[in-house]
Amino acid sequence: MSLVDSLRADAAAVLKDGRAKLVIGYRKRGDRSVPVLLANADKADALIWDADCKQNLAAYLRKPEVRWYKPLALIARPAVMRSLMVLEAESQLADPDVLVLAVGEGDAYHGLLDLKGVAALLKEKYADLAPDPTLLARIKELAAMSAEDRAAFWEEQFAKCTRCYACRAACPMCYCQRCIVEKNTPQWISTAAREHGNYAWNVIRAFHLAGRCTECGACEAACPQGIPLMLLNEKVAGDVADEFAAKPGYDPEAKPVIGSFNVDDKEDFIR
Amino acid sequence: MAETKPTTTAPAPKAAKTSKAAEAPEAAAAPHAFEPRLVAFVCNWCTYAGADLAGTSRLHYASNVRIIKLPCTGRIDPLFVLKAFEGGADGVLVSGCHPGDCHYTSGNYHARRRWAIFRKLLDFTGIDPRRLHFSWVSAAEGQKFADLINDVTTKVRECGPFDAHNPARRRS
Repeated sequence: MSLVDSLRADAAAVLKDGRAKLVIGYRKRGDRSVPVLLANADKADALIWDADCKQNLAAYLRKPEVRWYKPLALIARPAVMRSLMVLEAESQLADPDVLVLAVGEGDAYHGLLDLKGVAALLKEKYADLAPDPTLLARIKELAAMSAEDRAAFWEEQFAKCTRCYACRAACPMCYCQRCIVEKNTPQWISTAAREHGNYAWNVIRAFHLAGRCTECGACEAACPQGIPLMLLNEKVAGDVADEFAAKPGYDPEAKPVIGSFNVDDKEDFIR
Repeated sequence: MAETKPTTTAPAPKAAKTSKAAEAPEAAAAPHAFEPRLVAFVCNWCTYAGADLAGTSRLHYASNVRIIKLPCTGRIDPLFVLKAFEGGADGVLVSGCHPGDCHYTSGNYHARRRWAIFRKLLDFTGIDPRRLHFSWVSAAEGQKFADLINDVTTKVRECGPFDAHNPARRRS
């Protein structure tokens, strides 16, 4: 059975026997792959899987209108499975009975898993997911520039930002009821699409994902202006790995990286 | 008045001394023209008390620093640093209790983790790391505080005004 056939069969099965009341997957609309929420087993044939399925469906798990349907099932690739682990570690999955139709690297299908199964699968098969080498090369290239050139590079990138917050909406980790950018007493980040507010927003967005980002790439894919957000995320993820030897999204009981500490943390930059 | 001005400021005697002075008579005054604006976020219990000690000990240190007292380094949100740069600070100093000395037992450990990542992120997005400094200063280290402020002021002064290249700067 092909991957898509297996997905359709499993989705129909869980909807029929009530193990899930809603399956979150992808369908085709025109030539684009978009999310679909299935409550009816007869419609399972709409499900697809292809390289365009970049949106991180774990972002739907926190939406009240989706949670209303629980128990939930969703299609997830390894980066999305890691998001589930972080959400679980942050006690954000009110219903930990979420079922995962696990799609692996190279379109391997790992079947229907619960969160424990996902944790085991990630540890066993995807413990050393390597980030995109071209991304790492670009980060190195930027790091070799002078601070002024880097400032100029990012200024050009951030100047495109229209503050639509599609990056935030696409991210399963951006689940705050009230985002820092919406707090206005005092207003920490200017909401106008101007230089200083754009800089603060994009930098703080990346920082708030420190030790939480699972590098799924959904934010960058969602950005209508093509801002290379994954450069920032990957840079922070690399620093988190270097400084604290942490890789988020594997242990559903992990302590948050920023928010916990180790007495022996490096402090070579402090006088 | 217009006629007397050139005669009073005429660099004639200097010009005779060295050719360098003749080329740019204002150059000698230039290093003093820029005074960096520093913002120091310090904790109430150690560094602020250290600064107090420096004052009561009558130690002289650079007057470029604006000290902002907070209950603990753990209270120093990275947004404070961004806001300082946004408002036109040339340099920022963050300082608190030595590890193990935190009044709230672990605020500085949490802060240390945050800074380790945040300073690299700022560097990556174009804020020169020479403009962002971190230190531990205890309540007994008045001399260390005075030396620290002098040193940070010198370093930031060397970087020059943080205006044209400051990605966080608020433009009118």
